[in-house]
Amino acid sequence: MLDIINYLTKQGLATNKELFADLNEACSGIPKINYDQSCSDLNCNKCIELCPTQAISLTNDLDNKISPNLNLAKCIGCSLCIENCPDMVFVKNLRTKTAVTQIEDLVISKEKSIANANIQPILNKNFRPLFKKSLSVRVVSTGCNACDLEINATLNPMFDLERFGINIVASPRMADALLVTGPCGLAMHEAIKNTYAAMPNPKLVIACGTCACSGGLHYNGYFETNGLCPILDVDVFIPGCPPHPWSIIFGLMLAMGHEI
Amino acid sequence: MLNPPIIVDINSLQENLKVKLKDSKLGMISSITGQELFTLILNNNEGNASLLISDIENNNTYSALTPAIPQAHWFERYLYEMFGIFPQNHPRLKSVIFNDLGIIDYPPLRSVDQNYHHNFQRDTSFLNIEGNDLYIVPVGPVHAGVIEPGHFRISCVGENIINLEIRLGFVHRGIEKRLTQIPLTSLRFYAESVSADSSSANALANALALEQMLELNVSERSKYLRTLALEIERLSMHICDLGGIATDLGFNTIAMELARLRGQVFAMGDYLTGSRYLRNYIGTGGVRKDDDQYLSKIKSLIINLKPKLTKVINFFINNQNVYQRLHNVGKLSKSLAYDFNMVGVAARASNIAYDTRLIYDQGIYPVAILKLANESDGDALARTKVRIKEIITSIALIENVLDNIPQGTTQLVNVKHLPANCIGLGIVEAFRGELIHLIFSDENGQIKRYAIKDPSFNNWTGLAISARNNLLADFPIINKSFALSYSGHDL
Repeated sequence: MLDIINYLTKQGLATNKELFADLNEACSGIPKINYDQSCSDLNCNKCIELCPTQAISLTNDLDNKISPNLNLAKCIGCSLCIENCPDMVFVKNLRTKTAVTQIEDLVISKEKSIANANIQPILNKNFRPLFKKSLSVRVVSTGCNACDLEINATLNPMFDLERFGINIVASPRMADALLVTGPCGLAMHEAIKNTYAAMPNPKLVIACGTCACSGGLHYNGYFETNGLCPILDVDVFIPGCPPHPWSIIFGLMLAMGHEI
Repeated sequence: MLNPPIIVDINSLQENLKVKLKDSKLGMISSITGQELFTLILNNNEGNASLLISDIENNNTYSALTPAIPQAHWFERYLYEMFGIFPQNHPRLKSVIFNDLGIIDYPPLRSVDQNYHHNFQRDTSFLNIEGNDLYIVPVGPVHAGVIEPGHFRISCVGENIINLEIRLGFVHRGIEKRLTQIPLTSLRFYAESVSADSSSANALANALALEQMLELNVSERSKYLRTLALEIERLSMHICDLGGIATDLGFNTIAMELARLRGQVFAMGDYLTGSRYLRNYIGTGGVRKDDDQYLSKIKSLIINLKPKLTKVINFFINNQNVYQRLHNVGKLSKSLAYDFNMVGVAARASNIAYDTRLIYDQGIYPVAILKLANESDGDALARTKVRIKEIITSIALIENVLDNIPQGTTQLVNVKHLPANCIGLGIVEAFRGELIHLIFSDENGQIKRYAIKDPSFNNWTGLAISARNNLLADFPIINKSFALSYSGHDL
């Protein structure tokens, strides 16, 4: 035991002091659209054909230019659009502050980028005084485990979720927020509803990861894997497949009503 | 790797298998369209695989293989569930995927015979266990921790577990069906989503199967890079599972220290693939990204990690309390492990010397420097020791790959068509064990069946058996020492 203590005292501080730092250059991140560039070939359609989740659509402008729209609720961050775009319209987004409170905000389009260059998440005013200091979260997993592992990673000494007043709890009776990961197949519908019903009011619902936001890869399957929206009203959406631990913490802070 | 398929009459299949399984291993049993049965046999001595195909004529029924070959029991349950093929005299034809909470009243993978008349019903009941002082502890599907959903029904007398019944299927997403409907370019994303913690192994199995169908050659450099991804994944997940056991034992110091060291393994994944879970990297023909500058960063990370990790692991395994909590807990004997076709860590901990990396082509494997991690006790301690041995070999392999990686190029091949009526097989040692992807194409070069066998598919039975006659309080440790995947099983 003394050996362990001796070892630990020499390891220094592990916790990241910089909050919500951008990902490093090697990461794929999620795509964003650079509207300063425009598509040169009107019939290119490369991004739409390659996208495995149909997250990209094109709209025609008034002056006969094409501009792409990207739905981050569906995007799995495969970077095929970034690598194959001939005009560099799609670029890497290494930010970790990606969560939003309205699902419409996950769709990136040209009009929005003109109206509001830097979309600030709209805060849900109702909950602000209640959860600002602490939030107890109940996690229900229904997916491939990546988001769950990342939620576990938020609890490690580097990210240290608990320093923000957020706690992962073992029972819905103690929970303020329900965090759901995965595409929510038919077998989990009742379990999610029951977990939600067992939570005391007021309560929040957070969809973590692309699958929970829209069904992602599994959208429209025979087992009704269409995400959390058809089952419950969702307050916060965290895109990414899986979202980085900082993105998850950002989503939880957003649910608490912090303006970061 | 895969011998040409052999047609075997369904009535003689059982005898045939009995003879073959004496010196070979059962890979998987499933069906292609619902009209036939295929059995994949892995001839581990010769290093190849044979496929037996048997037509089923007699009103979708055949005589079950399970009474003579217990390995087949889970496969036959899955077969009935997904294809509506009825194995007669199966000892317990209980549903493995669909349960009361989400039932689909048709077999979803059956693609022939739309006016399917067989009286199709699912048995979703629990085993009825009665007795004096017996009580039942139901757990799940929503667990107390942050893990995947599954339902355990533990029947106990006093503190002793009499029976453990596992109900899975809560994470079913219909991936096998979806894999036959999507363009070939998106295949690897679905393969990776089978189970996120073995995404590079799944992507590699998918790539190997497609390369076999297309008769593609992969450059030497790609093979090294693929091995690097596979070993980083193994290292990362074994550290994670070791941390999980430490958490369940209440040894939080070690759990947190391992979580912190795992951050460095994640960073290696970031540098190699751009994703912490090594997603979107391995594809048909090679790998997506190759940058020498990042390889040197991985090298400095592994040199930094090695002494610290060895030290922390030694603190953990040399601790008296850890030994006492893990020793003789959740024992799985060699004969049972063999009878129920255990793979991976669970098999090696029960003294079955089986590692597909020593037999089948995957990355740079089969390679001589790999040491088989074997233990003989079959308990939770043995499984933990196997994990530790594999962590050490993984580090050595990563160093070896980084030292010896040859120059060359690597790029992905854009697959547009597959050859008609062709079969592709990919066998990969994921960190949990033997992972099989088997692809059948139809006469138009489209995929007509994509079968995936995750290592957890074999090993869940092992967990149910080894939990018997243990203390209820030890169940979390037994569960964690197996560390099985729910999503890989449920697909």
